[in-house]
Amino acid sequence: MTEIALFGAIEIGLVYALVAIGVYLSFRILDFPDLTVDGSFPLGAAVCAVLLIAGVNPWLASLAAALAGAAAGLVTATLNVRFKILHLLASILTMIALFSVNLRVMGRPNVALLMQDTVLTPFYGLGIPDHIVRPLVVGVIVAVVVLLLARFLSSEFGLAMRATGVNARMARAQGVDTDAHVYAGIALSNALTGLAGALFAQTNGFADVTTGIGTIVVGLAAVIVGETVLPARTLALALVGCVAGSILYRLAVQLALSADSIGLQASDLNLVTAVLVAVALILPRLRAKASRSVSRSPSAAK
Amino acid sequence: MIVVEDIHVTFGRGTPLEKHALRGVDLTIPEGEFVTVIGSNGAGKSTFLGSLAGDVLAEQGRISIDGTDVTRWDTPRRAGLVARVFQDPMAGSCAALTIEENMALAAARGRRRGLGLALGSDRRRNFRDRIAALGLGLENRLHDRMGLLSGGQRQAVSLLMATLAGSKILLLDEHTAALDPATADFVLDLTRRIVRDNRLTTLMVTHSMRQALDYGDRTLMLHEGRVVLDVAGEERAGLDVPHLLALFAKQRGGVEISDDSLLIG
Repeated sequence: MTEIALFGAIEIGLVYALVAIGVYLSFRILDFPDLTVDGSFPLGAAVCAVLLIAGVNPWLASLAAALAGAAAGLVTATLNVRFKILHLLASILTMIALFSVNLRVMGRPNVALLMQDTVLTPFYGLGIPDHIVRPLVVGVIVAVVVLLLARFLSSEFGLAMRATGVNARMARAQGVDTDAHVYAGIALSNALTGLAGALFAQTNGFADVTTGIGTIVVGLAAVIVGETVLPARTLALALVGCVAGSILYRLAVQLALSADSIGLQASDLNLVTAVLVAVALILPRLRAKASRSVSRSPSAAK
Repeated sequence: MIVVEDIHVTFGRGTPLEKHALRGVDLTIPEGEFVTVIGSNGAGKSTFLGSLAGDVLAEQGRISIDGTDVTRWDTPRRAGLVARVFQDPMAGSCAALTIEENMALAAARGRRRGLGLALGSDRRRNFRDRIAALGLGLENRLHDRMGLLSGGQRQAVSLLMATLAGSKILLLDEHTAALDPATADFVLDLTRRIVRDNRLTTLMVTHSMRQALDYGDRTLMLHEGRVVLDVAGEERAGLDVPHLLALFAKQRGGVEISDDSLLIG
């Protein structure tokens, strides 16, 4: 792997770390399988790109992308909480709708960012090579997000959100308005994904409606890899695990694609990812089964 | 004080499974009274408790708690007034959260939850003192996940959690039914202590007639969604399990009791 490919993998890993953290919020903390991210990621990219072309400040454009993501999340949460549509289906509906919305936002399937200033522009002139500046800037943004989110989740509001996902009945008996916490959590999850989309557009120089395909699987893969390499006891560590998982996942992909002997092509990426996630989901089950059959054998009984 | 006026609850209205679970319950429970509730399966005990907690909204009638009409309030809104302990030790706490996080959740009951830290050092110290008073040695395990505790320990912590927010009403839904007899006795004694020390108005649903007579100041028997027996004071003191059984059989139109679980204990 070349140095540029290495830093490229770290950079894209860091961008998708925000998706991983969002997916961790919905899947793990709220126990709400939310596929909206497949739509909110390109939505964030589209909103940011269009605003940059219109001459808006890059930080404001990124913020707008996050807000657009949050709005998409609220649609899914409303379909589920208010209208009782199954969470998975609710998120698929929003995701499909967003494909059209994203085309409308951009006015065409993709938008190139050529001469526009991005959040990265001020840092390009500091004498550090561009391919290192990008992961550094994105890394700082991700670090700030992790710190803020860890603090948020240990607040009274955040604790109530975690209880909502673990035991909604208990949470309600303790006076937690579980519906409000689902709204807030799914909105936050998709805001982070929208921000990731904005960073993707700015680091790669384009926004495209098809970049969203498989976002959920990539995010989930990062979460699972993170949980495997860093079985966290505390929340802050779990969030760091999401970031580490996202980078490791990209490095593994980069490694697999650059090793010619395996014979994989870039187009095999989605298949490889799906297999990786499936294996990671199946393994704990098999392990549990193995330990059950051991404890059933007489020698292991007390 | 709890005032219940003629509440009715029907499940599955208009379906073949329609069940008229509560058929006009009228009740006044003065402040500080400890009421035990018995009845066979399907008598409406849990529905009655649920209707006080807000899980089930009464379609007719009125419920007021300390003078406030709460008939239309949902569960989270009523949680500021009412604390609960469930039958299933898993149901009343969050297994994946630590003991202190569970306590912090309960301590914020009935308050707005903001962005302040859920566990400041003052609060931690307070929780440590409160849990030490249980005498279970849990004060050094505040960082352990709730799921690591035994059923009895979880019920004990749940009882403690019920007192953290200062609400004055405690609803216990067969909270010892899932425990072994020795642990159940421990939890019941703890219940008595906590109810007395905090002067809580308490409703305890139980399957055991023995418990119903041994604990509390007043006993209600529910049958088919109505209160069929309401005894307190001397009348109650003179009652024993066989009397209660006879009364119970009479209510069922002389039919022999077939519900074994009622005879236990």
